[in-house]
Amino acid sequence: MTGLVLTAREAGGPPIDLTGVLPERLADGGVAALPVIRGRERVRLDELFELRDGGPSGTLILRPNGAVLDNVGAGMAAGEIVVEGHCGDNAGAGMRGGALLIEGDCGAFAAAEMAGGRLRVAGAAGDFLGAPLAGSPRGMRGGSVFVGRAGDRAGERMRRGLIAVQGDVGGWCGARMIAGSIVVGGEAGAGLGSAMRRGSILLARDPAEPTPGFADGGEHELLFLELMRRDLMAAGAWPMEFPPAGIRARRLIGDRTVGGLGELLVLSYT
Amino acid sequence: MRINGVTIDDTFAEAFPMKGTRLVVTADTPHWVQAAAVTMTGFATSVIACGCEAAVERLLEPEETPDGRPGAAVLLFAISRDELAKQVARRVGQCVMTSHSSACYAGQHEGKPIPLGDGLRYFGDGWQIAKRIGGRRYWRIPVMDSEFLCEATTAVTEGVGGGNFFILGADREASRTAAEAAVVAIRAVPGAILPFPGGVVRSGSKIGGKYKGMIASTNTAYCPTLRGAVPSLLPDGVDSVLELVIDGMTPEAVRAAMRAGIGAVVSMGSAAGVVAVTAGNYGGKLGRHQFHLHEVMA
Repeated sequence: MTGLVLTAREAGGPPIDLTGVLPERLADGGVAALPVIRGRERVRLDELFELRDGGPSGTLILRPNGAVLDNVGAGMAAGEIVVEGHCGDNAGAGMRGGALLIEGDCGAFAAAEMAGGRLRVAGAAGDFLGAPLAGSPRGMRGGSVFVGRAGDRAGERMRRGLIAVQGDVGGWCGARMIAGSIVVGGEAGAGLGSAMRRGSILLARDPAEPTPGFADGGEHELLFLELMRRDLMAAGAWPMEFPPAGIRARRLIGDRTVGGLGELLVLSYT
Repeated sequence: MRINGVTIDDTFAEAFPMKGTRLVVTADTPHWVQAAAVTMTGFATSVIACGCEAAVERLLEPEETPDGRPGAAVLLFAISRDELAKQVARRVGQCVMTSHSSACYAGQHEGKPIPLGDGLRYFGDGWQIAKRIGGRRYWRIPVMDSEFLCEATTAVTEGVGGGNFFILGADREASRTAAEAAVVAIRAVPGAILPFPGGVVRSGSKIGGKYKGMIASTNTAYCPTLRGAVPSLLPDGVDSVLELVIDGMTPEAVRAAMRAGIGAVVSMGSAAGVVAVTAGNYGGKLGRHQFHLHEVMA
């Protein structure tokens, strides 16, 4: 048994909502007739995509061909989706398991309220990466996210899990964070960790605009960083060169303006 | 059965199911690994009075540990999961967390979990931090030399306690030399430990005694100084007996350890003053596991 390759028939046009088009549905049969929404109309999947067998079993390969695909992998629990191009909004939102690999960029709310699984975005993710969906009190609550760059409010209200950004993130990264880990390899914008309660934000560089409300706890050797380094290096996501010696971190504790016990860890090597 | 002039009695070691776990202790230097591991496995020779039986399984190279530092694998066994959890919490809390630069990880992940850092985290007084890394959960507990890093849980396995054999020697030197060789051989077997001092027991016991409340008392049948006064099981020419008690993560580990130990003893032969090897049992009525010496050495 092989996977399935979906190639968009037309470039452009209204966004296509792929909610429910998931690897776990491949075994059911009848994939071609799955309903999808384009703009304001509900149509069959095979009206918008050319379907053919291909790829490993349990894998869904999407070729957007310039079409805007929203909700790719939203709520997926198993299997793998590979997007050979860019994605629209809500990629991997509410994911509970499996793997979603986006070879290009993706829009806002990627991994929003994600609970498990792994999302990897080779390019840039939009705003609200791993954040709550509108009206929800909590963002990401599990799983791992690896992206090249991210927009504003990455990890906002994050409860659990890992977000590793290889390059820059926008403003308010980790704002109102509840727990979990965020790793930033590049520059972080203003409002970093603002109003965070707990959780860790690891930074390869000093924050350009330090957030008020963080107490400087000095520089330390923290053993858990070695475990994180090993784990992230295995995933190709450790934001620094391979260390010649042990890892140290300057620990900023906050946000004390809200009684927070979170930490910004500015990494360095001994 | 005779091997190299040493008689192997046609008997068996009777052993019991126990709950076991493996912990990995690391520190900045081998010295501090030893300090933590030896302390946490102290006073852990017998469940009769110590609560658990424990020993260092083997020392670990930095490449073998989760944090790339020197380490030790430690095995602990107790009669129940609850008792094991209690002993793990006490020993890690008092002996590992207190030791300079230490960290403690689960050495196995298959089996029902018991708290490790989950119980110790409260020492952090609210400043402890949970961290999930690579699918595993850890606690970072602030301590005076940095942080104590401890995995949240460890897994419990169905182990075996009380594998044993006796070395019957012509004199103390003969039985000691043979026992020391057996200890070296057994310590190379993965998944097995020798919880008694130096790996050897000289005060083997029988069940009960003449005094009320005694769970166990000296094994009179193997005490050379009582020969003639009690029904003795000592052959002529035997003046010193030492016992090796083995706990293992699996029956196979206990069997392999017994084979390695007895093999080392008999390789010294009767010329070294080793007369016989036998084993302790209760007639097969109490323990679920029986390790027949002839089968072990076949």
